[in-house]
Amino acid sequence: MPVVHEFSIAEALAAQVLRHAPASGRVSEVEIRVGALRGLEPEAMKMCWDAVTHDTPLAGSVLRIDLRPWTLTCPACGRAWESPVPFAECSCGEASPRPTAGDELDLVSMTVDEDDDTVGAEADAEAEAR
Amino acid sequence: MSDRVKTTKIPIVERVLEANDQLAETVRADLEGRGIFTVDIIGAPGSGKTALLEATLRALKGRRHPAVLVGDLATRRDADRLAHWCDQVVQISTGQGCHLEAGQVRDALKEIDLSEVDLLFIENVGNLICPVGFDLGQAAKVGVFAVTDGDDKAAKHPYLVQAADVLLLNKIDLLPYVPFDRTVFEADVRLLNATVPILDVSSTTGAGLDAWLDWLDRSPADKGASNPSA
Repeated sequence: MPVVHEFSIAEALAAQVLRHAPASGRVSEVEIRVGALRGLEPEAMKMCWDAVTHDTPLAGSVLRIDLRPWTLTCPACGRAWESPVPFAECSCGEASPRPTAGDELDLVSMTVDEDDDTVGAEADAEAEAR
Repeated sequence: MSDRVKTTKIPIVERVLEANDQLAETVRADLEGRGIFTVDIIGAPGSGKTALLEATLRALKGRRHPAVLVGDLATRRDADRLAHWCDQVVQISTGQGCHLEAGQVRDALKEIDLSEVDLLFIENVGNLICPVGFDLGQAAKVGVFAVTDGDDKAAKHPYLVQAADVLLLNKIDLLPYVPFDRTVFEADVRLLNATVPILDVSSTTGAGLDAWLDWLDRSPADKGASNPSA
């Protein structure tokens, strides 16, 4: 396994998802939001996610990564725009726009698939309780 | 089968590293309560973190009461080197881990007599990227760059530059011999972090160490102030 921080993050994320996952159903998709400052490599992250979740109830789930970009602000013309990289020239010619980015690393949502007969099962359980 | 599947999207919004962050807060509260100033030292392999710590510990002899946690993938060579200058050195072997986590710090601290300590150095695993996002309960993060690594390293590691409370530019004695443009380095740092102090140091010649020791001695509230020699 490659020595990358994506691996530790994937491990922490898997534990977190399992904590939140409902008892019934299968987690089919997990969505995270990541600030550009984190330097997270989406492909490495997905590879680590597959490795970490292999042979667990999360196996086969898709990791969606909402990578938030840098915001560059030009000190000369005041233009602000989003960029995948922190250093870029402004269209006005200014060489050093100021880069800012967030360091958020949040679990945003999970998608759970349930066989629809569980609805029937729930009804049965309710009937039984009565 | 697929037409009988009910799909539900569950919104959550919670920090992924919440568990580590909570542990780190516990560690921080414990260390601060004991009056221990804790620095997390982050730099690339070969940037001179251990040599810098050796020089620092030597200079602090009889002045402060330091302890050191040193993280490494394997071997206790760094810990052995540092043990010459400090009685309380604990090696944390991370195995495959590219960074330290708060739980490892909490466990390692059990091996230290903290009543004797007023300054704790945590030498993180040699890596400019991974350690930055993992809170260890430190009071300050120290970023170490070396002039031999090239002047583009700050620009390529924005998270460390932004998160650092002080940056050490190490091996400054080699500046005449390497193609390192200090102006470019500083300009990149300033774009990412307008206020972080940049201290030029050499653990070999001792140049600049006084400013670094002075930074360590200053009260935590004062440490943000740039240009300590002024």
